[in-house]
Amino acid sequence: MDLGTLAIAATPAFIASAVEFVEATTIVLAVGLTRGWRAPLVGAALAALTLAVIVATLGVALVNYIPEHVLLGIVGTLLLLFGLRWLRKAVLRFAGIVALHDEEEIYRREVAELRAQGRSRREWDWVGTVVSYKAVLLEGTEVAFIVISFGAKGVGAMTAAIWGAVAAGVIVVAVAAALRTPLTAVPENLLKFIVGAMLTTFGIFWFGEGVGAEWPGDAASIPVILGLVLVTSWVSVKMLGALLPEGAHVEARNV
Amino acid sequence: MSSFLRGVWDNTYGLLVDDGQLAIGAIVALAITWIIAQYASDALRQGAGWLLLVMVIVLVIANVYRAGQNARRKLKRT
Repeated sequence: MDLGTLAIAATPAFIASAVEFVEATTIVLAVGLTRGWRAPLVGAALAALTLAVIVATLGVALVNYIPEHVLLGIVGTLLLLFGLRWLRKAVLRFAGIVALHDEEEIYRREVAELRAQGRSRREWDWVGTVVSYKAVLLEGTEVAFIVISFGAKGVGAMTAAIWGAVAAGVIVVAVAAALRTPLTAVPENLLKFIVGAMLTTFGIFWFGEGVGAEWPGDAASIPVILGLVLVTSWVSVKMLGALLPEGAHVEARNV
Repeated sequence: MSSFLRGVWDNTYGLLVDDGQLAIGAIVALAITWIIAQYASDALRQGAGWLLLVMVIVLVIANVYRAGQNARRKLKRT
């Protein structure tokens, strides 16, 4: 497997995983700093184990038992649906229609909720374990999904995607452990925008390949598709800016 | 058990679908691409990928435009 294919698998897995790990780390930090570290670390470890089992079973089944063109069709469909969901939200966030993701605010809310629940020092902190497990599993499911999709092209791609995700996890956890505060400096909203565009691009490219369409220059078409998706997103943000009164911020959830 | 299964379903659905109309539009675009790739002439089949890209671009612009209109209505009401 060539270097380009490995980079295609590892890069989106790294960026998307970094974003999701930042979100999961915020919750685990909130639990750890308010209720002690043992319970949330056990919850996070159990969730990581669950995710490893999901990636191993689904990933192996996809790579080994499904014909390549069918696999490309399935992965392309899922990536397109997933990518459009991220891209739409990112466009609406940049246009001021949906509130920007704010780790500091999420952290404060989580700490307040956890303090309100109280805890007994003598018993195992099940609340801490469950909150941490759910946060890591929920955010990690998106990571697992991306790793499986980008790794579906073969064992080499799967390994590259897993390493991309693991590298992101190690970096985010190391920085969070050192700072012991939510990682607000990470430009999450911008990264989500980029990931949404990348997932949409690969969804279109792989679904096209899966149904037998021809891309000029094969993978060389990917930057062209990505460029057009990014231009479309930029035009969409500008269009929404023109549609709303100047300076208006709606921040509504259901639009 | 049913609430657990409902939770699993909600999470899986939420992972892929944020806006139902966008998801349905994407599936329709994929279906059109697949039909063209299966049954159309060679020239059309080879360009099916670009057609999918165009449909996705139109879909995104139409969807966020609708979201913008809804947001503007909400602003006018408040």
